[in-house]
Amino acid sequence: MATLNLQHIDKIYDNNVQAVFDFNLDVKDGELIVLVGPSGCGKSTTLRMVAGLEDISAGKLLLDGRDITATPAKDRDMAMVFQSYALYGHMTIYENMAFSLTLRKENPNVIHKKVMAAAEILGLTSQLNKKPAQLSGGQRQRVAMGRSIVRNPKVFLFDEPLSNLDAKLRGATRREILLLHKRLRATMLYVTHDQTEALTLADRIVCMSMGHVQQVGTPLELYDSPANVFVASFIGLPPMNFYDVRVSGDKLVGGGFQISLTQEEQHTLRAYQNKEITLGVRPENIVEGPDVPVTVSSNENLGMNTLVHGHIGDSKAASAKISAKLKGWRDYKVGDTASFTFNRKHFFDKETTNAIRGGEG
Amino acid sequence: MTAEERTIQRDRMRFIKNSLSSNLAILGILFNVFYFVSIYKSDVDTYYYNILIGASIVYNLVFMLAVFLSSEGVKNYKRNYSYLLAAIGALQIGRIFIIPMGAHTATTLVGGETVVVMQDGQFIRVLVYLIASAACLLASAVVNYIRCNELEAHLKSLGTQGA
Repeated sequence: MATLNLQHIDKIYDNNVQAVFDFNLDVKDGELIVLVGPSGCGKSTTLRMVAGLEDISAGKLLLDGRDITATPAKDRDMAMVFQSYALYGHMTIYENMAFSLTLRKENPNVIHKKVMAAAEILGLTSQLNKKPAQLSGGQRQRVAMGRSIVRNPKVFLFDEPLSNLDAKLRGATRREILLLHKRLRATMLYVTHDQTEALTLADRIVCMSMGHVQQVGTPLELYDSPANVFVASFIGLPPMNFYDVRVSGDKLVGGGFQISLTQEEQHTLRAYQNKEITLGVRPENIVEGPDVPVTVSSNENLGMNTLVHGHIGDSKAASAKISAKLKGWRDYKVGDTASFTFNRKHFFDKETTNAIRGGEG
Repeated sequence: MTAEERTIQRDRMRFIKNSLSSNLAILGILFNVFYFVSIYKSDVDTYYYNILIGASIVYNLVFMLAVFLSSEGVKNYKRNYSYLLAAIGALQIGRIFIIPMGAHTATTLVGGETVVVMQDGQFIRVLVYLIASAACLLASAVVNYIRCNELEAHLKSLGTQGA
């Protein structure tokens, strides 16, 4: 397999719109990197530049240390799986999977061996004589993956491969991709806007916004130590709650609530005394407690958990909204008063929106 | 070819159409088209071109339909179409002795002069077309028959039913 290095990559279109700004990433051999971000953040553009489907405006792309910035797509030894499958409707599954090798005029017996091996991996052996229209969306996507596998490329590129599937199939196909990665130990670049896919599949996640890389890290790092407000709000479901608070001694004072800081938190915020910061709290880090009075606006029982939505105090302002994911079954009624405590807090600089880490300032 | 390669080649037949047989059958149609176009060029007014050629037109239509259907059949390794193609191929040989041979030996009066209905050049040309057509159809039938047997044996060895 292969290593991939993206060095200071920019993408500027002819109309001077810049889609990607100074993208840097070192992909290790056999690593599964997920590019995640909202629509229009430049993740697909980045993937297409890696594939050779878009020109790189500035920067370098290295595959196994070899500069392939100007190499045509067909010579890059990469295989791409598209959201729309891109299968040939008039060909059987076997012919679809064999097509790229047939074009290369490989020995038919070799092609057969590779197609059968890929079909075995993907559980498509019994479908090989069918046409794509006879298969489900998940099976079609597996065929698209099979077409990539037979080529034995150095890098696999996935462009939102699960977006066309329903929720159940998406989960199943996601697990198949994960198994495939474990089995092939292939270097993979995967683009998605779905944070669940990113968190479950990735060895490392690249979170993007407006063409800029916001954070690169393991799923746990992005979840537990988001670099800024954007990453904190994008990763996690339900999303993190944010409040403007003032650091006042050993307390944080917000609109309608006041919470105590631990010694460690005070140390982290020592440079922000009497300043306003942004407090972030994940819904799953909220428990019932004495600190924050909440007026409940909805109560959603999910079985193991209950999602409680409401407003802090009596305020109806959007900035006072709160979502808490409480363990167990709760039965709050609309208008009930509850009281919560924040177990784990994230602090962000109000001006830069960057995370405030211990040891800073 | 090693035994393993042979096995792989047979296994491929489960997923690859029998294009060779199918294409040979289509080629058989093509040569037949050349044949009857060459026949109809003659402007000699004899019974060959009034009765037999009328029948020939009907036969050619049936021929093309049957061979085209057979070409699709052999593409999917259907053995029965081998028999049909072999029979049609044999008929193509038989046709040599109807119009071409008859017209080549018959004479007619043109401008008060007795001439052969089908001259040597035209006769040889249509003969070549008919023989080529027959050869293609017979080859298609034989190739399909052999492949059907191989595929059947391979499927039996795999313990599966049908291709």
